[in-house]
Amino acid sequence: MSTLIKLENISKHYGSFQALTDINLEVEEGEVICVIGPSGSGKSTMIRCINLLEQYDDNGTITVDDIVVQKGKNLREVRAEVGMVFQNFNLFPHLTILKNIMLAPMRTKGLSAADAKIKALELLNKVGIAEQADKYPAQLSGGQQQRVAIARALAMEPKALLFDEPTSALDPEMVGEVLDVIQGLANYGVTMIVVTHEMGFARKVADRVIFMDSGKIIEQGEPNDIFDSPKEIRTQNFLKAVLTH
Amino acid sequence: MNKCFSLMKFLLIALLWPMIASAQDATNDPIIVGANIGNVPWEFQDTTGAFVGFEVDLVKEIAKRLNREIEILNVPFNGLFAAVQSGRIDMAISSIAITETRLSTVSFTQPYYDSDQSLTVRVGSGITSLNDLAGKIVAADTGATGDIWATENQQKYGFEEIRRYEGLAPAMLDLEIGRIAGYISDIPALQYYTKDKPHLQVAERIKTGGKYSLMLGKNSPLAIEANAIVTILKEEGFINALHEKWFGAPAEASTSTVLVVGMPAANDNLILDFVDTFLNKQVFLDTYPMLIMGLITTIQLGALSIITGLVLGLILALTRLYGLKPLQYTAKIYIDVFRSIPLLVLLIIIFYALPFVGLSLSPFYAAATALTIVSGAYTAEIFRAGIEAIPKGQFEASEALGLNYRHMMGDVILPQAIKIVIPPLTNNCINVIKDTALASVVAMPDLLKQATQAQAVAANPTPLIVAAVIYLMFLLPLVLWVSRLEVKFKVGDK
Repeated sequence: MSTLIKLENISKHYGSFQALTDINLEVEEGEVICVIGPSGSGKSTMIRCINLLEQYDDNGTITVDDIVVQKGKNLREVRAEVGMVFQNFNLFPHLTILKNIMLAPMRTKGLSAADAKIKALELLNKVGIAEQADKYPAQLSGGQQQRVAIARALAMEPKALLFDEPTSALDPEMVGEVLDVIQGLANYGVTMIVVTHEMGFARKVADRVIFMDSGKIIEQGEPNDIFDSPKEIRTQNFLKAVLTH
Repeated sequence: MNKCFSLMKFLLIALLWPMIASAQDATNDPIIVGANIGNVPWEFQDTTGAFVGFEVDLVKEIAKRLNREIEILNVPFNGLFAAVQSGRIDMAISSIAITETRLSTVSFTQPYYDSDQSLTVRVGSGITSLNDLAGKIVAADTGATGDIWATENQQKYGFEEIRRYEGLAPAMLDLEIGRIAGYISDIPALQYYTKDKPHLQVAERIKTGGKYSLMLGKNSPLAIEANAIVTILKEEGFINALHEKWFGAPAEASTSTVLVVGMPAANDNLILDFVDTFLNKQVFLDTYPMLIMGLITTIQLGALSIITGLVLGLILALTRLYGLKPLQYTAKIYIDVFRSIPLLVLLIIIFYALPFVGLSLSPFYAAATALTIVSGAYTAEIFRAGIEAIPKGQFEASEALGLNYRHMMGDVILPQAIKIVIPPLTNNCINVIKDTALASVVAMPDLLKQATQAQAVAANPTPLIVAAVIYLMFLLPLVLWVSRLEVKFKVGDK
């Protein structure tokens, strides 16, 4: 196994506020990482640095597949390799489900419309909503929209997928269907970093769980170790709070 | 056509009824006199800004003899007819010639000056008579005797085009620049004007035999009173003294400046009630083709300016949002400046000032340029608001998918922004089309210009009312469409 994503000494400042402090992280190919921690702990900021939706401070480096993530002509190459799924889906409301998925492969990989369509239908099948292909996003439920967003990210055939709280905006009864799709991908060997509040899901799917607080990685390890015998006080307190109610 | 006309008649009466019902006259109020100030030496401003001139002296004396106060208002020549007919002014002066057509809608006192038209040219331009004007552009005052004569003789002399101005000053400016080859207007005014301007000359007298008189509302009692005073002033030699004062020599004894003549009889071919004044069928039929030609010009100008304005606006908006810093500031300054400058001022600068740096645009392109510049600034702000209304997530999703800037804007952002900006853009289009009317100041024959000309020739405001109805028929559907869109987008998806 080789390293796909590597963060070295990553910090991030918003003015004088420090959102991330000295993050070091290596993600192996095929690894599934779940990032947990309280709101505002820097989980989302960290994964948004990986495809440069946030610019990290100068003194650190992020590489994806040995390409440095920075502004310039390589950036789109990096973004083509790292797909992202957002909390609010961010589907394109003026395009049909099918066209949402077809757009990027056609524009960035020069796929023909016919090929892009075959590919899109295949992916919609995989996430279980092929019958919605010609509808518009607003006609779908939140869970269905998020599954489309996953299919849209997969259409670029990325080496890794970043999930930014993919179920936080969903009604509770729709959380399961989205998590099932993500778990399916995990079993399939896709490299993933999932920022989530779903502890059961993290325990079940993750190869490694990372606990963050105040912009730092506090503790990481295998799911059973983190959830059953956390070493750090802050991890213990967080888990106590979220698991017992 | 007849049915449509009756409907317009009905609407007009319904709309204006309160005004008609409250019409009244009060003989102790000052006499309100309308004058096209700047028409030397009849009525113009001296260095102190006071109104002076032959006709100003005359109406002041008449008021004095009638024991009435007097108030002089500056009204453009072609506005004088509607102004006396509506009673907004009591009397009009501006070297107005008595014509049969005008007598059917207004009254005149006896004349006090015998005039002709004249051709004024630039010295050294190679043009010395009317015969040199084949294929050339000539100018006249909208609806004035010179305009009527030039229109009737356009074929005979082969004028390429007749440009119609709102008075002496702008026409003279264009004559000096060389945009027009000759200017056809009243001979006394031009002789007076060119007296101290050696580069301009009156090249030829055009015998039209106009007789200047005071113009009043149809059958106005004041017309008879004023006419009686004019008789007295002629007998006293007062008017001839004015002639000597303003032209440097007394008038010949055989002219109407000296001779007492009868008041011109009203031409009663038309019964002039309210409707016949403001919606006269004969005038309508006579001027309808002119108005349609004007409408075509208006549509051409509007369409061109709207399209170029949209392109410019989009470029400006994108530059302002995503350009390099210095370009962003330049775009912002452009947008702020041209939203602050009145369109009319910009139009006049483009038309009259740019020729001095070697850029002489035709009236059509000068107007299109001014409208584009201003419309571009407004459109840019509309586009910017539209783009900024698109949620940040749409940009992020596009970036995360690896779309480049062009595809992000073209496939994702702009298609959504267009929907948001269609109602305000349509409003802007309506404004551009209405603003084309300002082009009449640079002698462009748009709908409004054609209507004012037709109005002055016929001495009847019907063409203006018809023009208003045309604007309405043309723009009202757009206005209603915008309202529908706004409602639809509000209820529809986000």
